[in-house]
Amino acid sequence: MTNPALRAVDLTKHYGRLTALDTLNLDVVPGEVFGFLGPNGAGKSTTIRLLLGLARPTAGRAEVFGIDAADVARAHRHLAYVPADVALWPQLTGAEILHLQARTGPGADLPYRDELIERFDLDPSKPARTYSTGNRQKIALIAAFATRAPLLVLDEPTSGLDPLMEREFRTAVRHARDRGQTVFLSSHQLAEVEAVCDRVAILRAGRLADVSTISDLRGLHRAEVTVSYTGTAPDLNVIPGVETIEPAGEHRLRFTLTGEPGPALQALAAVEVTGLSMREPSLEEIFLDYYGTETAR
Amino acid sequence: MSLGTLTAPAGSRVASEPAPGRAVTWLAVRQIRRGALIVVALAAGMTALVVATYAQVMADPAAAGSLQALAGNPAIRTLFGAPIGLDTAGGFTVWRVGTVIAVLLGTWSILATTRITRGEEDAGRWDLLLSSRLPAPAVLLRHLIPVMAVAAATAAAITAVLLLAGTAPAGAVLHGAGTGLLGMFFAAVAALTAQVFPARAPATGTAVAVLGVGLLARMSGDGVTALGWLHWLSPFGLLSLTGPYVHNRVSPLLVLAVATALLTVLALAVARRRDVRDGLLHATAGRRPRTFLLAGVAPFAVRRVLRPLAGWMLGIGAYYLLIGLTAVSVTDFLRDNPAMAGEAAQAGFDGLGSIAGFAATLFAILAMPVGGFVTVRMTAFVAAESDRRLTLLASQPITRLQLLGAEITVTAAAAAVLVTGAALATWLGVTAIGGELAVTDALRGTWNVLPIVLLSLGAAVFAVGWAPRWTGLLGGLPTIGGFLLLVTAESIAAPDWSRDISPFAHLAPVPLAEASLADSAVMLVLATLLTVLGIGAYRRRDLLS
Repeated sequence: MTNPALRAVDLTKHYGRLTALDTLNLDVVPGEVFGFLGPNGAGKSTTIRLLLGLARPTAGRAEVFGIDAADVARAHRHLAYVPADVALWPQLTGAEILHLQARTGPGADLPYRDELIERFDLDPSKPARTYSTGNRQKIALIAAFATRAPLLVLDEPTSGLDPLMEREFRTAVRHARDRGQTVFLSSHQLAEVEAVCDRVAILRAGRLADVSTISDLRGLHRAEVTVSYTGTAPDLNVIPGVETIEPAGEHRLRFTLTGEPGPALQALAAVEVTGLSMREPSLEEIFLDYYGTETAR
Repeated sequence: MSLGTLTAPAGSRVASEPAPGRAVTWLAVRQIRRGALIVVALAAGMTALVVATYAQVMADPAAAGSLQALAGNPAIRTLFGAPIGLDTAGGFTVWRVGTVIAVLLGTWSILATTRITRGEEDAGRWDLLLSSRLPAPAVLLRHLIPVMAVAAATAAAITAVLLLAGTAPAGAVLHGAGTGLLGMFFAAVAALTAQVFPARAPATGTAVAVLGVGLLARMSGDGVTALGWLHWLSPFGLLSLTGPYVHNRVSPLLVLAVATALLTVLALAVARRRDVRDGLLHATAGRRPRTFLLAGVAPFAVRRVLRPLAGWMLGIGAYYLLIGLTAVSVTDFLRDNPAMAGEAAQAGFDGLGSIAGFAATLFAILAMPVGGFVTVRMTAFVAAESDRRLTLLASQPITRLQLLGAEITVTAAAAAVLVTGAALATWLGVTAIGGELAVTDALRGTWNVLPIVLLSLGAAVFAVGWAPRWTGLLGGLPTIGGFLLLVTAESIAAPDWSRDISPFAHLAPVPLAEASLADSAVMLVLATLLTVLGIGAYRRRDLLS
């Protein structure tokens, strides 16, 4: 059996009395694009720092392809990293930083790097002190995508990019997956995660709330159903999983449905239904389902 | 959402602080308060110790004799200025600790000013500050005033100590005010260089160079009678021109005050004209990549040290070249004053009048700038870590040991280059003027201070591992702290054990005497131990940020 690209076993981190991460257990399968979601302060960046060996766990362990994350000389040969807030050496130009990263990293595909510089529309001749947030992020992204490392760890990599560049980013992630690279993507951009990720983990207050494929997550969450009917309205009040029934015009009803649709369909069969539409929840709605009560507080 | 006009709910009102500037002033105060307390306490403490024990020291013939010998030592005269008014407690204190405190306060004022102005701007934190209601010159002024207030507090503390000790009021006020004005002058210089240069390092470097040139100008003015007018061009020279407790001249201080005011006005004017995150001199817009020394962690550490090393070498080299050039004239002066030479011999400092003796005393203080250099380098390493520049490298297949090890090795090698350069500069100076100093003797003399320098490096590495925020303080402790301790202990005839804590007490006067291998070995073992402990902790701790 092959080792997971990333593995966290009871991974825990305390900062004084604060528990930033509480017994996280997680496996990222090689070759998948894995989304890592959670509101600010949920412990996403702490998790990544532990996975990279930049911080030491209070308890538990982290592994990269079966290698202890603390053994960075070996573990980091298999990964490339884009931090959330990229800081560069101000006196070096973009090209010089890319050169330094290529020479100290796990090996780089230089023709592909030049292609990425073109695609991300970066001027590498400028000193890093003159780069904007987005341009600093581009440098780190280009350096990471240009490596042939089997794992890419990206911490909110597109927060400073414009929509055009975000599209390039998604293309680069797809290319990476096509080459067999694993991508671990922490992000707030739910549309982006929805577009590129195979599976997502949702973190809440330092604990893992859920790990699932996006379609399974949808199945677990409310779908919005609208029915049109003639004659009497269907009686849905006691059907399990059906909530917030409201009229949506004349002879139309809208309700939300969670879980198995069978009982609801049987109830609908009792009346004359002329139209039925179902809308699956977006990742944003799922996300808000998890955290909505918290943010509303 | 409605696009209509939003009306504020009745009774609600936008809170607007009447004095936004006060918040900025407090921000500046918060950033300097720890260092400020240390500087004021050191200045007041050293002055108090020396002035309070003056009578007791002079009552002991042996102690008084060795102090007379010290005053007659040409190297000490070069460092501390011509001794005048040694017959009063105030005059003696001014001579003995005045220059040391002035250099300390001046250096701190520069470092604090560039750190909280250009350093904060470099880090992007001023973008938010300057989007407030305050214009750039006002923000600059509100950062400059707290630094100058620390200089004023130092002045008040020194004056109060001297008055309490019962010295003449005129001298006490003049000496205190002079020291304080000097601190303000260098704060203003640093504020100006922080506006001219678009980065913190050249701003700090240029201001420190002004301080170094000021010291050199005073030394030249002291050493060569024809160059006496140089005193008027140097803040240190102006201070010695006031002659507290002897001449009590006020006019030199007025010159210093006017110069400080002009520099401040100039800095504010430049701040009004320039763009944020840019300087009067613009950063280059772009260039071809220079991939020289970017092939790994160690080469990159070398690349980063080259420019600072060149700057420090220039300063240290100039200083020791001047010492070499003046060695012959000051030692001749001593030979022509048999009384002084006799006193020196009485105290057991036979050879101090020779060039080798002169050089040996001055080589000892080389440990301070070089110790300062290694401390600054390790502080820069911690800064790179805490502002996350190191994160990208730390996420490469590079161990913490490689990361820190490369920095330590390169810094130690750079320190070796500095002491070698100082030896060659001294030798060049002495030889050019027709004096006798073998190049091997000069090299033996400067290499003799390396164990103290490495002790500073070890202390800094220890701090990097265990308490990164204290790297500057711990790193400076063996060299700068050790020297201050020795000067104070010698001036107050303190018990031997207190003097012996200073590593300088264990430094043989090479090339006048042979190096003490046992003492050097102890320091090296201690330095190694601190380094190993520091690396061990660094490998296990979380990266900052």
